[in-house]
Amino acid sequence: AMAQAALGAAGLHFDELNKLRVLEPEVAAQTVQLREECRAFVDKTAEFQRIVGSLIELVDQLAKAAESEKMKAIGARNLLKSIAKQREAQEQQLQALIAEKKMQLERYRIEYETLCKTEADQNEFIDQFIFQK
Amino acid sequence: QVWDSFGRVLYNSQPHEYPITSLAWALDGELFAVGSFDTLRLCDKTGWSYALEKPSTGSIFAISWSIDGTQLAGACGNGQVIFAHVVEQCWEWKNFQITLIKRRTMKVHNVINDAVDLLEFRDRVIKASLNYGYLVVSTSLQCYVFSTKNWNTPLIFDLKEGTVSLILQAERHFLLVDGGGLYLYSYEGRLISSPKYPSMRADILNAQTVSLSNDTLAVKDKADEKVIYIFEALSGKPLGDGKPLTHKTEIVEIALDQKGLTSERKIAFIDKNRDLFITSVKRFGKEQKIVKIGTMVQSLAWNDTSNILCGIQDSRFTVWYYPNTVYVDKDLLPKTLYEKDASEFGKTPQIVSFAGNGITVRRADGSLVHLHVSPYPAVLHDYVSSSRWEDGVRLCRFVKDQTLWACLAAMAVANKDMTTAEIAYAAIGEIDKVQFINSIKDLPSKESRLAHMLLFSGNTQEAETLLLQSGLVYQAIQVNINLYNWERALDLAVKHRTHVDTVLAYRQKFLEDFGKKETNGRFLQYAEGVSV
Repeated sequence: AMAQAALGAAGLHFDELNKLRVLEPEVAAQTVQLREECRAFVDKTAEFQRIVGSLIELVDQLAKAAESEKMKAIGARNLLKSIAKQREAQEQQLQALIAEKKMQLERYRIEYETLCKTEADQNEFIDQFIFQK
Repeated sequence: QVWDSFGRVLYNSQPHEYPITSLAWALDGELFAVGSFDTLRLCDKTGWSYALEKPSTGSIFAISWSIDGTQLAGACGNGQVIFAHVVEQCWEWKNFQITLIKRRTMKVHNVINDAVDLLEFRDRVIKASLNYGYLVVSTSLQCYVFSTKNWNTPLIFDLKEGTVSLILQAERHFLLVDGGGLYLYSYEGRLISSPKYPSMRADILNAQTVSLSNDTLAVKDKADEKVIYIFEALSGKPLGDGKPLTHKTEIVEIALDQKGLTSERKIAFIDKNRDLFITSVKRFGKEQKIVKIGTMVQSLAWNDTSNILCGIQDSRFTVWYYPNTVYVDKDLLPKTLYEKDASEFGKTPQIVSFAGNGITVRRADGSLVHLHVSPYPAVLHDYVSSSRWEDGVRLCRFVKDQTLWACLAAMAVANKDMTTAEIAYAAIGEIDKVQFINSIKDLPSKESRLAHMLLFSGNTQEAETLLLQSGLVYQAIQVNINLYNWERALDLAVKHRTHVDTVLAYRQKFLEDFGKKETNGRFLQYAEGVSV
């Protein structure tokens, strides 16, 4: 017992196996245990980080997909609006062409009417002629 | 909007959807193009729109025409350059209708038998003209002449300079105007002549400033717009003594009559005040007076088969059945006209053609209006040119139209057939003229009859000259006395030493009748010498 105290004062201990140790056996055992537990903790933390990392990736991909869908939706809506405008423009163009054609028709109609009148007059003239003869 | 050179608005278009960003005239002044957003419109010079195209090119900011007037280029808002070519021009004559369907192809449609022919050309078609049974087409390198009887064998000859700006046709030949000058060709392709005049600018001639008939070519000078140069068609030399026809105001439009004798060729022209004048083309000997026959005339055209002139005067459409009347009997002119209200023609009508009995007028909105005139005056012209006076009289009796009788009267006097003239004047009720003609018939000598006929037409100078030449001095003096030309009568009497007393006697009687005193020195002097 005195030897133990003397060793203890010098900072040395004997353990069960009768080896000389620098640390007290209990402290050493506790340190080893602590080390083991820390190691387990670190592993678990790393595992956790990995899992969370993959979760984040997944969520990011989902976010991107959602983003692109949103863009597509906005694009489709704009297209719809622009088509409506395009249709308006097309309609205007066609109206202009119709107006043009109408004018041409009017011109031809007037010409046709005068020609009809001429034909009628000439027929009348011919009839007069035959009648008088 | 289109304005004329006086600043008056000629045409107002309908509003377009977008602002107009460019406008350009074609070089011959017949067309202009208008550019707007996604729009290209081709318009006639009077304003109405021929065609509308809707290319999707954004706004057309600048347009430029090619020199030959068939193509244009446009600079567009989307960075592109757009090229356009004018097609589907249409020419009509009698029963043929010809359309330019592509740049080098024409379609000929004969409406009587519905035959369609396709004419292919080696190069781009620039100008064409269809009239008198021939189609003349100018491409960038050659000129083609087709006869309407046979579309398969055209006459082709090469052109010296590319760009023909105007083709004018007459019955026996046609005129090509390009940058180098005027060239007259026969329908067989032979170059007949190439008239030139000082300071000629051939690139600015158009159908209103040049006129062609079978023997004569008339061109209005650009340097001095009061001057018309007249050439003999077959030789290209100026007619007569070479001096051009000069008028007191600028001339706007000229037209030569197409039928009849060369010696009677007439030219009608409209001056800047829109007055219509007619005169003979003869440039030697005594010039014929330029006579005004219309006012506010907007457009005119001679007939292609007889010398009848039609025009639009203000709002009346007028036909002068025998314009030569002004040189024969001025009072008859109003009776030889046919007038019709022209308000249906719109504001600025243009006569497109006058062929046979039909007249085509284009209104300000671009539509064509057709009307026709009585066929009888043309028939009368025909009879008169072959001196068939009895047929003429029979025709007038059949038709029973005062206008026709008036024409016949004027034509008879012009050709010195007094019998017909007498009948015609009697029919229109001009008793005084009938009496005069009767008195002419009783005159003893041919010369005096001729002289009195000249008097009838108002040519006092010529009548007097004729009488003096044939030694009928007394008649010459008597003519002057009747016209109260006292000075002249006395001059003649003194010069020929005869009948001075007669002159004095008439003079005294005249003064007594009017209660006047003799104030003329010469008469007083002679009165002392001779007592009556």
